[in-house]
Amino acid sequence: MKRPSPECVKRSTAYSRANDLRLTLSPEQHRALRKRYRRRKTLTAYAFLAPNLLAFLAFLLIPVVWLFISTFRTGGVLNAAEFVGLDNWRETFADPLATTSIRNTLIYSLMAIPAVFIIAMVLALALRTISRGSAPIRVALYLPTLQPAVVAAFIFVFVLHPDFGVINYAIRAFGGDPINFLGDTSLALPTIAGIEVWRGTGFWTMMFLAGLTALPSELYQAAEIDGAGAIRRFWRLTLPLLRPTFYFAVIFATIVNLQLFDSVFALTDGGPVNSTISVSLYIYRSLFLFGDIGFGATLSFLLVVTVLLLTGLQTFLLRDRK
Amino acid sequence: MTATSTSQDETRQVLKSRHTTRSGLPQSRSTVALSYVILAIGVTIALVPFLYVVSTSLKETTSLFSYPPDWIPTPLYWGNFKSLFADHPFVWWTFNTLFVAGAVTALKLWFDTMAGYALAKMEFTGRRGIALLFLLSVAIPISALIIPLFFVVRYLGLLDTYWALILPPLANPLGIFMARSFIVAIPDNLEDSARLDGASEFTIYRTIVLPLIRPGLVVLGMFTFMLQYTSFIWPLIAVQDSKRQVLAVGISGLQSAFLQDWGLLSAAMLLAAIPITLVFLLVQKAFVVNDLSGALKE
Repeated sequence: MKRPSPECVKRSTAYSRANDLRLTLSPEQHRALRKRYRRRKTLTAYAFLAPNLLAFLAFLLIPVVWLFISTFRTGGVLNAAEFVGLDNWRETFADPLATTSIRNTLIYSLMAIPAVFIIAMVLALALRTISRGSAPIRVALYLPTLQPAVVAAFIFVFVLHPDFGVINYAIRAFGGDPINFLGDTSLALPTIAGIEVWRGTGFWTMMFLAGLTALPSELYQAAEIDGAGAIRRFWRLTLPLLRPTFYFAVIFATIVNLQLFDSVFALTDGGPVNSTISVSLYIYRSLFLFGDIGFGATLSFLLVVTVLLLTGLQTFLLRDRK
Repeated sequence: MTATSTSQDETRQVLKSRHTTRSGLPQSRSTVALSYVILAIGVTIALVPFLYVVSTSLKETTSLFSYPPDWIPTPLYWGNFKSLFADHPFVWWTFNTLFVAGAVTALKLWFDTMAGYALAKMEFTGRRGIALLFLLSVAIPISALIIPLFFVVRYLGLLDTYWALILPPLANPLGIFMARSFIVAIPDNLEDSARLDGASEFTIYRTIVLPLIRPGLVVLGMFTFMLQYTSFIWPLIAVQDSKRQVLAVGISGLQSAFLQDWGLLSAAMLLAAIPITLVFLLVQKAFVVNDLSGALKE
């Protein structure tokens, strides 16, 4: 406790004397009152948190616990659930398609995320440089982002079409043979990643632009006076300062991209020859095509663990250590 | 007198000759020119694919695969749009999408600002634990939960209802952290003075906190609305009745059910893009000023 200064005490004597007449608290009463006050504050806080806690309980916690239990069980849809130990886990790791789907999903993310980040960063830097006409350019760049992934996928059927797609039109104009992008086992997955890059660029451009705009311009003026060139300023100033933005970007992009489903569902259904089958697509199939809950749950649980571990690793690597 | 004004004019001229931007940094002309070239390429790649959609939606599917492609079909064919409204519940899909996305956005903004306020400004037992719990659950992918969510929603008897589409997305905790990062920035003494005047926590939340974080909420709202408008895997599973379906799922069903009617599909994609584009145009200015990524920086 801080001791009040003498003047303060003198000035408040009249007040406290008047106060003392009405209210004198024993230490026990004081403690009880404080306890009541704290309990009240905690109750208020939980009231504010209640809607989110309820949603968390019903649609996140219970499903995750259910997933974990289901990895050790079989059946449960038509017949009663039965405990089978580690059978589902063994089956999942032995299933070549499960391994393929995990590998495809990771490769897809490793192609799509760096590509979309680099392109969006270049566009954001360009947008920050210009002053006139930036609003319509931003809207145009953002239009692909506003489309559902299935719509983006269908749009690219036109763009990539062997007969009338603009890309094959260009290839033919230069004398090449038209390419069937989605029908080729080695091209299908990069093409799916390319569609996601097209759709995601607007989003990340805007995110990076917001980060860039928030940077203090004094630092840049100082750096310019000190003779740091544009490239040096970018590597030494912009990138380190944007670390919080990148942290968010990497985490969010990882979570979203590891759930690859919409475009493969709409375009290839995992084909050709399973070259685009993703974990989410396989989970969907295990539930609605062959109804194997235990297997699907194990695959789902693996996806949860993978995303948690990856984002944890990214947090460890990218977070500010102050 | 004249001398100073001349020197001021000179300074102004020097300043004018260099192109100053929002970043406050002068830019050389070649940098600006290069930027415009890069942006022109970006805008072209972003927009050209849409030309196919516009063009195809106005063609009869039989004349689709002509080579070289004719961009402006003559005469314009409106049959795709007519068939979309006559043979498919397209109006329902649009309404469902807007209703569900609107409801989720409104509820999310309300709940997340409340939770964000508690986490940012209140002292209570278990605060760190709850923050950690929400933070961990940011990293739980919804598509890994489709199987248990399907059974939870079926157990609650909500399959094929709007509730099935609205309730599960409310568990996404990302917005809580975004709201919290806006609220942390409000100086404490603002609320404290209201508290001394006898305002309850809810009054402070409603009359002080909410108005102050409105610009951030516009961006958070758009973000939530967009995620919801484009969501696919969960609506695909939770709703079977075509009339209750959302646009993304309805459109993808057009393709599989009716043997690749590209004209019809394009008409649907074109119309589906209009509402969300209008919403974005309304709020796009707020996007550059507000950085949502501050949410996770602690």
